[in-house]
Amino acid sequence: MPGPLRAQSLARLHRVPGAPVHLSPPTEIGMEAKYQERLSSIERIQEGFAELNYICSRPIATAIYVSCHLGKPLLVEGPAGVGKTELANATSEYLGVPMIRMQCYEGLDESKALYEWKYAKQLLYTQILKDKIGDVLSDAHGLAESMEQLHRFSDIFFSEQFLEPRPLLKALTAEEGAVLLIDEIDKSDHEFEAFLLEILSEFQISIPEIGTVKAKKRPFVFLTSNNTREMSDALKRRCLHLFVPFPDAKLEQRIIKARVPAIPDSLKVQLVDFVQQVREMDLKKQPSVSETIDWARVLLLLHATSLDADVVRETLNVFLKFEEDIHAVDQQLYEFTRHAQKADARVA
Amino acid sequence: MERTFTNFLQALRGAEVRVSVAETLDAMETAELMGWGDREALKYALSLALAKTPDEKEIFDATFDQFFRFDSFRGRDGETPEANSGEELEGKAGDLLDMVQRRDETALALAMQQAAREVNVENIRFFTQRGLFTQRILGAMGIEAIDAAISAAVRSGEGGAGQAGQLREARSYLFEQVRDFVEQQLSLQGAGASAELREDRLRRSRLGNLDRRDQEQMKVIVEKIARRLVALHSRRKKLRNRGVIDIRKTMRRNYGSGGILFDLEWKQRKIDKPRVMAICDVSGSVAAVARFLLQFLYELHELLHDIRSFAFSGKLIETSSFFKDKQADDAVAAIMDRVGFMPTDYGESLSNFREKFLNDVDKKTAVIILGDGRSNFTDPRTDILKEIHDRSKRVIWLNPEPPPLWGTGDSEMRRYAPYCDLVRECNTLNHLERVVGDLLQVAQKAA
Ligand SMILES: Nc1ncnc2c1ncn2[C@@H]1O[C@H](COP(=O)(O)OP(=O)(O)OP(=O)(O)O)[C@@H](O)[C@H]1O
Ligand SMILES: [Mg+2]
Repeated sequence: MPGPLRAQSLARLHRVPGAPVHLSPPTEIGMEAKYQERLSSIERIQEGFAELNYICSRPIATAIYVSCHLGKPLLVEGPAGVGKTELANATSEYLGVPMIRMQCYEGLDESKALYEWKYAKQLLYTQILKDKIGDVLSDAHGLAESMEQLHRFSDIFFSEQFLEPRPLLKALTAEEGAVLLIDEIDKSDHEFEAFLLEILSEFQISIPEIGTVKAKKRPFVFLTSNNTREMSDALKRRCLHLFVPFPDAKLEQRIIKARVPAIPDSLKVQLVDFVQQVREMDLKKQPSVSETIDWARVLLLLHATSLDADVVRETLNVFLKFEEDIHAVDQQLYEFTRHAQKADARVA
Repeated sequence: MERTFTNFLQALRGAEVRVSVAETLDAMETAELMGWGDREALKYALSLALAKTPDEKEIFDATFDQFFRFDSFRGRDGETPEANSGEELEGKAGDLLDMVQRRDETALALAMQQAAREVNVENIRFFTQRGLFTQRILGAMGIEAIDAAISAAVRSGEGGAGQAGQLREARSYLFEQVRDFVEQQLSLQGAGASAELREDRLRRSRLGNLDRRDQEQMKVIVEKIARRLVALHSRRKKLRNRGVIDIRKTMRRNYGSGGILFDLEWKQRKIDKPRVMAICDVSGSVAAVARFLLQFLYELHELLHDIRSFAFSGKLIETSSFFKDKQADDAVAAIMDRVGFMPTDYGESLSNFREKFLNDVDKKTAVIILGDGRSNFTDPRTDILKEIHDRSKRVIWLNPEPPPLWGTGDSEMRRYAPYCDLVRECNTLNHLERVVGDLLQVAQKAA
């Protein structure tokens, strides 16, 4: 079944001085053996990630499976702290390839994302050229001929020596393949998004000064978004799209167990139940998974073995960030705690 | 399976999930990768490729569940329901009786799928067709055999009565199943047809006579088109300042710094953002078109250098500021307050423009005039339009009336036309999209 693996084909990295050139099509070979086994099934991925302490639901594992097999970028959306960034980290660790992260922000442009031209260095060279200009032009007669000779030197200005690679170029040129994480793409602006489109569809980029750079090994690409703005249709069309919601109680318990192994079982069940109840409320900011983890750690430090109203009240600010939210939850404190204790009893 | 799959995509589109060609291909590759053996995994996987907002995910899930409810996913990996479709017609009728009596839902579902394919149930569009398709499917499944068995049982007298009763019961069970199935197909395909047709209809319908509900939908469509145009054109713009150094210019520019090439001058492909002045007639039915033209232009502000808008009927005012701090709806209302509902006077309005704004028109300005050119038999002042034409880069006239009406009655369109670079009929969203697309295209070609 050659279809799905086609995407993993490799291509030579070409850098040709001067104008962009069109290159021969990439060589087609299958997905590397080392990934092949690790990506052999959805269950295999779930188990493998769990060993790295990343607990993924079936939809998430399916997303990794499909995206890696088809070689399609994966756009991950969902509320803050549900583990979007960590998913990319875990994937890089799992596949044993380096992680290249590009944090997006407003005003991020190609020079920060792709490569930067080292003007200072170039200036230095220019100075040298100036000193040597007499030698260069010594045998030239007249202005036209001088210009002609100077022209030949213009190539100096476009050589790779002045090129400082940034994440995107690094990911395209990574010898061993890479996980490329384009984090919080929603913080970048529309123009940058449009620019990404080219890379995401071709995995190659033309650098006017150098030529066309084509991925030697297609990187596994993750994009994350907190949905502060809607991504363009064009971008979404090129990506597979995974929405990661807050985990359900069962999954969250497993995450807590993975991240805070020392936690007593009953405390784990209770605190997860409490947080799940809090998420039902209409709050300014809902507690995320990372905050549940923080809370678990704090409770552990306090040697709590189960929840009671006092210890919850003292630690509300660990997982709630706004005064109003703390106040609102405080109103429900006894009820929620009782419910959490019962949840534990149910499990036991 | 390919047909079932295509129908599923059609149903999704119908439920307003946008599915592009690229996504269709992705979905097919995904299905091929996953196989048909694990229904749940397939659902998650296809959802990655086909549904790209939380809303779409929800619709996707519902549609998937509804659509594949009758398909058996219990087969071995890779085996598609279609693999079971090659049965002999004769055996089928016999089986049918058997299946119905055993209430074998999986087998029935398969038989029903196959019969549905035979009668092209995906063509169902209207609820009035329910009976028709139900009968056709029952026919294709071989209901006659059951009917024959019932008759035979009845004929056999006393002893057959019990059996006939049982058979009748089985028949009505089958009938219900098929009717539900057709019902479900109607809700998938029928809805599908309507949503697709609706957008298509809206894009082609006259902006002058939309009802309120359509207005809302129109705004969404305009936004969508605008976003596409932005995505299409902004990448090209970025190509500026990149490329090869222009030695000649660099030398000239750095003449002052003692020969050190301090400021590099690139050989650049200059792309001018067009400066746009839009002059809109807001009388009568033209106002509706003006509204959408202006929404369009302001959605595209990223791509345009500077947009100024003017509205007129009896006189002309500048309306640029209206759009800077108001929603399009409010802006239009405010504009109508100031200049709406007066007898139209093109001559007067043009001379207002000349007095206050003609100086701002330069060789980079594209002037768009939107109007029917009906000036109540007043002096059209074509001389002013000529002046505008001479100073500007382009004059584009958009007329909501169809060409045969130009120049009839009080329409001065034919007299204005010689001073325009382009005159177009414009009264639908499709017209507008074309005009705006041209505007951006011309700007980029002018490099
Ligand atoms: N499924 C999970 N398994 C294990 N740990 C998890 C899981 N989900 C979240 N976490 C934990 O939660 C923390 C926060 O996750 P992460 O930073 O990836 O969230 P995020 O979605 O990227 O948030 P933001 O939108 O704020 O960037 C991680 O450090 C990780 O420890
Ligand atoms: Mg993150």
